[in-house]
Amino acid sequence: MEVWNLIIGNPVLNVLVALSQILSGEFGLAIIALTVIVRLISWPLTKRQLNSTKAMQEMQPKIQELQKKYGKNQQKLQQEMMKLYKEAGVNPLGCLWPMLIQLPIWIALYQAIMRALATTPENLLDLANRLYSWGIVNQAIPLNSKFLWLDLGQPDPYFILAIIVGGTMWIQQKMTTAPAVDPRQQSTGRMMTVLMPLMFGFLTLMFPSGLALYWAVSNIIGIITQYFVTGGWGYLKLRSPSQ
Amino acid sequence: MTQYPSYKMKQPKILLLIVIALLPLILVSCAPWGTQSAGGWAGTAVHKGTIYVGTVDGRVVAINSSTENLEWSYSIAPVTAPSSGLSCGETSVPTAIYGTPLVDRDIVYIGTYSGQVLALNMLARGQDLTFPQQRYGEWEWDCPIDNAKSNAIVADLLVSADSIYVCSSNGRVYSLDKEFGDLNWESKVLDERHRKLWTSPVIQGNTLYVSTYDGHIYALSLETGDLLDWSFESEAGFSSSPVVYEDAIFLGSFDRYFYAVKIGSDVPMWKFPEEKQAGNWFWAPPVINEGIVYAGCLDGIVYAIEAKTGEKIWEFDAGKTIVSSPVLIDNLLIVIDESGNVYVFDLGTELVREAVPLKTISIDAAVRSSFCAQEGLVYIRGEDNWIYVVDIDKGELGWKVTLTIEE
Repeated sequence: MEVWNLIIGNPVLNVLVALSQILSGEFGLAIIALTVIVRLISWPLTKRQLNSTKAMQEMQPKIQELQKKYGKNQQKLQQEMMKLYKEAGVNPLGCLWPMLIQLPIWIALYQAIMRALATTPENLLDLANRLYSWGIVNQAIPLNSKFLWLDLGQPDPYFILAIIVGGTMWIQQKMTTAPAVDPRQQSTGRMMTVLMPLMFGFLTLMFPSGLALYWAVSNIIGIITQYFVTGGWGYLKLRSPSQ
Repeated sequence: MTQYPSYKMKQPKILLLIVIALLPLILVSCAPWGTQSAGGWAGTAVHKGTIYVGTVDGRVVAINSSTENLEWSYSIAPVTAPSSGLSCGETSVPTAIYGTPLVDRDIVYIGTYSGQVLALNMLARGQDLTFPQQRYGEWEWDCPIDNAKSNAIVADLLVSADSIYVCSSNGRVYSLDKEFGDLNWESKVLDERHRKLWTSPVIQGNTLYVSTYDGHIYALSLETGDLLDWSFESEAGFSSSPVVYEDAIFLGSFDRYFYAVKIGSDVPMWKFPEEKQAGNWFWAPPVINEGIVYAGCLDGIVYAIEAKTGEKIWEFDAGKTIVSSPVLIDNLLIVIDESGNVYVFDLGTELVREAVPLKTISIDAAVRSSFCAQEGLVYIRGEDNWIYVVDIDKGELGWKVTLTIEE
């Protein structure tokens, strides 16, 4: 745990507090700024994933050919498609990795929000031992937890963030997730596209709105970059195979 | 018909990935930095041979210091704590107590994290009568939430001849009638940004001085609670309660400096250290004696500072965080670090630069509470919910008693 705090937990906390002081004591703006920084740092990974998505879209004609050729032999079709992906250097599961890699950031951010806002006297005292000696950090303490209609240490009581988080995640998922051919996999794909936004919408109701703000902003940045890098709405504008 | 690529991944694998992805979030949501409070760090008070203290399970207890026996115990009603993260739902938790019991004649006053002030009569509690017994002078007062997140009372209560003064997490100071608990006045919200007034006020003449987390010192009329003309503003918030000595206010700040502010002045008289900031916050209020300020710092150092000039006289590095305020008894200065090391300094001898304690006694328990000393004994509440009584003359632990009720 100490190693975690030393490497990730405390740096995220201090950067967040410092950003808050720079941004007129607005902790919400600090979270948004941190989200942008995280997205910038993870840009090489994101770019790779976006290129992968774009390549998959460009492979559509070849996929259709394979469908015609091996439509009755599902096993062969899968083999040929995997071969095609491999040749194109595309990982069809690539969209999941950025999410997994962001997990430590989510955890660190959750901890940082709860620690920085110091809702109890114990939290405030604990904070003293985690802050660096930077003047900018110590002048920011204690932080103001209010941002717009939100108390960043508490869940959003009006469900607005839950809708934004769920909605933006659904759009992002639809833009990046290639629909499946196999009917069984189609249902799995549909379930994934609906389940994840629902789940994060639900999590937004349970977790501090500061963390949900990070999710919402991160999703919006993801949608914007996706749109400009792949040159459009990706799989969102395509009809599903069942239609 | 448009054809689409498929990715070969079975449903259970996807579900497993989701579970793996969300598991850490579920786990961290159960971590102890949520909205629920722990048991607080109530300090000890000793009055006529009885020790009064708040416990981590939300009780106020009286212990006979001669017999070491429990005289009485009063359980404060538990509170329903809101859920935090995925984990926990609403739970009933003991009311935390952070303030030191205030003993005045035969009444023990206590402020709670659930936003109540209780006046407990020693005799009525000794007989375990239903609370409150008005004929014994008992009362309870509920602090309003007042559009704030909390009405929690964290700071020590303050008493004058006829009133109790309460700082609340709703940002207001309240004056209550000492005898009946009636509200005399309430101040305006002093810290609109944070609301939390977690530091205790101090009285000088007819004025109440309050420090805030947004870096102000306010002067309030003791009679009406109105803000007086003078206030002081600092760039950083004040972390410790103020102490008044010879028309100046002494207190620690979140910027890792210790401030002395002349009442009526807009600029600090001095701030310490003069150059490089200290290693951490000055959390505990200082004690001041014969022109010397003794201030403990969370960096583990206790400093002796000239009150007039801010010049350092000596320092002692305990090596461990100092959360509790130092205490003076006769000519001895008692300092306790968070690891439970009790340091005794003889102020009668000339201490220079790097002071050396006369005695060091370890109680082998974490200490965050304020403590008191009387007649050669130091009364400490450990974070393990035990009371430790240290005999200074003998330089050893005298006795200890648990505050935990055995099931």
